[in-house]
Amino acid sequence: MNELWDDLNGKPMHDLNNNQIGVVTKGSLTEGVEMKLNPDRSVEDVKAGKFVVIEGYKNQFFSMITDLSLDATNPDILLYPPQDGDQLLHSVLNGASTYVTVALRPMLMLEAGEEVVDEPRPVKTIPSHFSKVVEAEEEDVSRVFGSEDRDDRFFNMGTPLDMDTPVCLNLNRFVERSNGIFGKTGTGKSFLTRLVLCGMIKKKKAVNLIFDMHNEYGFQAMKEGSSGDSFVKGLKQLFGNQVALFSLDPASSRQRGIQPDHEVHIAYDQIAVEDVVALQDELQLNPTAAESAYLVAAMYKNKWLRQLLSVDGPGIEQFAEELGANKSSLSALHRKLKRIDSFPFMVTKLEGADAVDTMMDYIDRGIHIVLEFGRQTSMLAYLLVANILSRRIHEQYIKKSEKYYASQNPADKPKQLVITIEEAHKFLNPTTAKQTIFGIIAREMRKYYVSLLVVDQRPSGIDEEVLSQLGTKITALLNDEKDIQGVLTGVSNAAGLRSVLASLDSKQQALMFGHAVPMPVVIKTRNYDEDFYRAMGDLTEEEKAEKAEAASAALFGD
Amino acid sequence: MALAKVDTEAFIGEVIESSTSQFVAESRELNGAPPFGAFIKTSGAIPVYGLVFNVCTHSIEPNRRATAYGLTEQELRNEQPQIFELLKTEFEAVTVGYGDDRGPRQVLPPQPPGIHSFVLPCAESEIKALTNNGDYLRCVLSGNRLPVDDLIIASVRHAWAARAFDMPYLVGIGKDLCRLIRDDYDRLSSIMRRISQ
Repeated sequence: MNELWDDLNGKPMHDLNNNQIGVVTKGSLTEGVEMKLNPDRSVEDVKAGKFVVIEGYKNQFFSMITDLSLDATNPDILLYPPQDGDQLLHSVLNGASTYVTVALRPMLMLEAGEEVVDEPRPVKTIPSHFSKVVEAEEEDVSRVFGSEDRDDRFFNMGTPLDMDTPVCLNLNRFVERSNGIFGKTGTGKSFLTRLVLCGMIKKKKAVNLIFDMHNEYGFQAMKEGSSGDSFVKGLKQLFGNQVALFSLDPASSRQRGIQPDHEVHIAYDQIAVEDVVALQDELQLNPTAAESAYLVAAMYKNKWLRQLLSVDGPGIEQFAEELGANKSSLSALHRKLKRIDSFPFMVTKLEGADAVDTMMDYIDRGIHIVLEFGRQTSMLAYLLVANILSRRIHEQYIKKSEKYYASQNPADKPKQLVITIEEAHKFLNPTTAKQTIFGIIAREMRKYYVSLLVVDQRPSGIDEEVLSQLGTKITALLNDEKDIQGVLTGVSNAAGLRSVLASLDSKQQALMFGHAVPMPVVIKTRNYDEDFYRAMGDLTEEEKAEKAEAASAALFGD
Repeated sequence: MALAKVDTEAFIGEVIESSTSQFVAESRELNGAPPFGAFIKTSGAIPVYGLVFNVCTHSIEPNRRATAYGLTEQELRNEQPQIFELLKTEFEAVTVGYGDDRGPRQVLPPQPPGIHSFVLPCAESEIKALTNNGDYLRCVLSGNRLPVDDLIIASVRHAWAARAFDMPYLVGIGKDLCRLIRDDYDRLSSIMRRISQ
């Protein structure tokens, strides 16, 4: 008998041939649309973030479920609810006097038969009364989000909730702007980032420079899972010689069994005052200390840091006098910059090629760079190195772009560069964003063919201006109200997305919205597994052996 | 659905008073009226469907009442058989529809049933056609001097029985009823509880 009631009070969705889930009863363009859930549907099958289609008279409205509420026509019912076990009354009331209202947010409007073009049209109207609301079907998803088979600009990121059709990111649009990947610790930010990087590398949409603070992109990385920890392949393993591994700490890389392609050293002379100013927060420098640094630099030009650090404790007063700088602030600067001395990658004089030149050489050849920090995981080292390298690469890019603008020769066109930075709020917080190179890149966008991929767990720490300039945001679960607000900066009608964002699963779910997707969508992210490796062109061991054999046969004959 | 040919041999009563919305029939046998809430129909060119809402047995003569004898029915039949000839059973029905060449329709008939037309019980298929939604309950709810709630309970039980006590049907009727009684939650819960008992 119980099964009978279960059937009546909400059939599982997949058991119904008819995929209608409700009818539109109310709505407004600004507030979104309300739907009454069909009584034969269980409210528990309808999840926030689900992708549904409203079949209007002339248009289809692709919408997202943003909120659910239980309602009753008669307040008496709520005062005297049916007794436990009174299933009949319960079923009778269900859908008649007690009903479920679902708030929908139309995100995209298409006329019948219309395809999504590059610039999706915003929703300008709402569906009429009693328009049917149906579950999105496989073809709806590919109609809206494109499909990998159709065009190489599309990259499969995962599937909508409860569906199997891939949701694709339009990579052409993705690389046009700076983008952000957000999420609490442990929600799969690194996996999302790795996925997006793989897409850009595989489809050759941009050259990547990745500042890999925790050594998780280049070579294998650990995967946290219920079945114990396991290791997944890094970019170098997947894409071989398309990816070059740079290391700040070659000893650590070797210990992990990795042979880096290059070691990176930084000479004192390469550090400009701007680089130090960008570290203001991390070093707790006050503004006068920064001014003193300018004074030293005015005197000693690019040797300023070497000069400053070569002075010993007691000599600093005399040094300040020579410069005419404030003694105490100069000594504070000196004391704090001494920390830089302890980094093993700092050298007085470079032996061999400059790291930036080597990197530019790789970038020009379209080879992606992962810079591992090894054991140099202090925030100071990360900020310093990322700043110095990006600043200098950016300078070169400006030169290249200007040359291209002058010659208008396609051969001079710089390759689109995407710089991936983690802990981005350290670079882009409201005080430093105006000074660091990353703040500049984020704001000037694609003018110089450099954009950012910002990875962060604390988006509220990032300057609002930068956040609003981010083209596409992919965000896993966020709980903090400020972070949610931060991520939704610059998004119209953010209210609906807010509840969706807070209700994501803590694993393998993300909300994508912005420039590279026609409408916001919640996805179950693609598995980073053997199938993915194969899709990225990675071969199994046997296939590799076969291929090598075939190659050697071709080379030497049988 | 074409109407089955009326089997006049199976009649249970005869119409003795008739109007558009209600009719009264005399039972063929004493105490042989159809049960309260049963679906009945009249013979004739346009069969009229009704719902029994009142059954009464009384003396044939308007001014005389039966007298108490202090005997069982069997003893009475043996000793005073004539008194049963002086009694009759009548039943009243509220009209819920009529039949045409497409089968039963849930609307009042163009003409009331003819006096002296026979009254027959409805077949299961006819009950199903009349009760496939809650519209027939409207006639009950809007009728005069009807024991509305009890009539709903009895008639829904008949309709439910015709469908082999199918739960989804009962739930559907319950939803219709809920709307018809304008969300009167107490009344609804009482009716539904009594139907399912």
